[in-house]
Amino acid sequence: MHYLTDIILIALGAALINNFVLYYFVGICPFIGVSRRIDMALGMGFAVTFVISIAALLSWTITTFILAPGAPVSKWVAGFFVSPEAAAQVDLTILSYVVYIFAIASSVQFVEMYVRKFYPSLYRSFGVFLPLITTNCAILFACLIIFSRIVGVDNPADAWDIGRALTLAAFGGVGFTIAITIMAGIREELELCDIPKPLRGAGITLIVASVLAMAFMGFTGVDSGLRKVLAPAAVESAQSAEK
Amino acid sequence: MIWVTVSLAAGTLVGMAVAMSYVLGWANRTFYVEVDTRVEAVIDALPGANCGGCGFVGCSDYAEAVVSGRAPVDRCSVGGSSCAAAVAEIMGVEVARSWPYRPIVHCGAHYDDRLYRSEYRGEPTCTAANLVAGVQGCTYGCLGFGDCERSCDFDAIHVIDGLATVDYDKCVGCGACAKACPRNIITMIPFKYEQMLAVTCSNKDIGDEVKIVCKVGCIGCRVCSRFCSLFTFEENLPAIDYGNYCTDFMDQLEKAVKKCPRKGIVFIGKPSPKDLEAVEAHPLPRVIESDFKTTVDDTEWRG
Amino acid sequence: MPVAPTAAERFIQGILPENPVYRQLLGLCPTLAVTNGLKAAMTMAGAVAFVLFCANIVTSVIRHLLKPHLRIVIFTLIIATFVTITDRFLAAYMYDMSKTLGPYIPLIIVNCIIICRCEVCASRQSIVTAGADALGQAGGFGLALASIAAVREILGTGLLFGVQILPATWPNWVVMILPPGAFMTLGLLLGAVNWIELRRSERADKKRG
Repeated sequence: MHYLTDIILIALGAALINNFVLYYFVGICPFIGVSRRIDMALGMGFAVTFVISIAALLSWTITTFILAPGAPVSKWVAGFFVSPEAAAQVDLTILSYVVYIFAIASSVQFVEMYVRKFYPSLYRSFGVFLPLITTNCAILFACLIIFSRIVGVDNPADAWDIGRALTLAAFGGVGFTIAITIMAGIREELELCDIPKPLRGAGITLIVASVLAMAFMGFTGVDSGLRKVLAPAAVESAQSAEK
Repeated sequence: MIWVTVSLAAGTLVGMAVAMSYVLGWANRTFYVEVDTRVEAVIDALPGANCGGCGFVGCSDYAEAVVSGRAPVDRCSVGGSSCAAAVAEIMGVEVARSWPYRPIVHCGAHYDDRLYRSEYRGEPTCTAANLVAGVQGCTYGCLGFGDCERSCDFDAIHVIDGLATVDYDKCVGCGACAKACPRNIITMIPFKYEQMLAVTCSNKDIGDEVKIVCKVGCIGCRVCSRFCSLFTFEENLPAIDYGNYCTDFMDQLEKAVKKCPRKGIVFIGKPSPKDLEAVEAHPLPRVIESDFKTTVDDTEWRG
Repeated sequence: MPVAPTAAERFIQGILPENPVYRQLLGLCPTLAVTNGLKAAMTMAGAVAFVLFCANIVTSVIRHLLKPHLRIVIFTLIIATFVTITDRFLAAYMYDMSKTLGPYIPLIIVNCIIICRCEVCASRQSIVTAGADALGQAGGFGLALASIAAVREILGTGLLFGVQILPATWPNWVVMILPPGAFMTLGLLLGAVNWIELRRSERADKKRG
């Protein structure tokens, strides 16, 4: 039950409360560039969600098994050369950025080839966005969050498992899709408006995005309220522990 | 200890590189998509304007359709017959001679010719104005809000003095304006010659009613069809048979032009040197930019 | 063949005419995220300058070895190396700032500015030109960040770089520090820069014709 509550709250958090675009400011470039039409926006959103999930899977696996301090594979390999105590202290987190970007670039390439072969109609609708996603901040950002939840926790038992990591990534992509589609709808309406010349294009998009961000700020506090509803026992024990 | 970390790090990176190379190499072979080499050749032969005039999304889409047999080789209106011949050569087929298609605007009324116009304060597009009753008296003719102008990628159609006017020097015949017009008064016809005869009216009402709403609209008097057999009449409006149109009928056509009481049948197309000479001294027509000030724009706020 | 710009031209272009944020609209993610305060913004500008300079130099050195379809991946890996160095440096010597900037330092890896400069300039021109281009673009980026951060910090907290600028009675416009304020400030400043640019080009047209 506790696990399900966690998953729901992570999903809600990633999609709405801490929306990747409107709260964390990642993925702004495609947000402004591809949000002209709803069908293009949806295509971009699906592509991002797809790639972000695969990238999260890869980065969680590599971090947990190779990069984290005391990770199984590194410990085993180092065990051949040094004593077991020293092997347990091997810490390869310095490689994290390089490894993540490498994994993202390769997985994007792989996904593009796979989709082109087996789903040609899908490829025609969003295949053109796939190379653009390699430099999308949102993918790397999801990987970094997962990294901080595995390596940055004080208690190793609290390190995120694959389910939580995938939920964060997938629903982060869903949040990105929601934001970019709403923006596309608004921009389609703006086509007919008389916008002053200096603000046309990116200027008015950013101003509309600020109003959208303000609207999404209305979601703050939903997760703590929901936590009280879904897991009142845990909240009570935490409060009594503070007292 | 540091050497263990460094060598492990190097080992991890090398291992990842090798693994990814294997996986991507395998994927490259397994997911190989057969691409016909003729597609590249056809794309090179096409002009590359990506205008959509052929009915496909872009030049590469049309090329793939041609090579897979889904599309005929002479669809590209921008490239014309030379492009069709090149594509036909790549595909190994014969192409029949075809004419370029160009748009004709079947309306001849400028702002001052249209009667019973009212002030319209809605969306400044023809599609929206077409839905509203009473924007102008004639419910068939050009509205002048410029949907066709916005749809043209080649700057070849403009709203001049309220009437959509085609610039045949720039037009490539992609058909975007014909698709954009909500009243369907732009049609694509085969331009067998530099100048073609056109009926510049779409009003199907009887003559008395047309005279109320327009100073230059066709009244359906049928004088043109008496002088030339190319005119057929349908619902008070003449239509020219472009399939049989040819210069043999020239004297008949010129008589029909002269006899039309509304001067609504005209030769349109690229201007001949004689035409250019005739208008050299005239000032250019004024282009009206819509000024959508509302009644509250200039009032002082007394709130 | 148009003549490739010289080092001096690259440097001057990067500051205002081809400003990466206001004219090319690249690198908007850190622009919005770290401009809460001028100190964080300048730290980010310094980090980007270091990474851009080093990446440009290295790319320019190996430019003849690059394979066409692998070059983006190579650029990204070079940049990732320098970003790791920057990140560890900040964590060691400026720990509080490193915590404030958080995940945005690693996001320099996918910052479009750096990849774009590697692609457009460093992979084609000499080391000196690439270095000048990097300094110019980094200068432009810093200028853009400073302008936005100044507006947001002054209006949002009344401070600038921690120094009280506005009187203490100023009701802090907290929204300026939050995400909506970031978008709004960037949008309006972008409009201002576009307006200046329009006026400038109109005047140039009038002078010419």
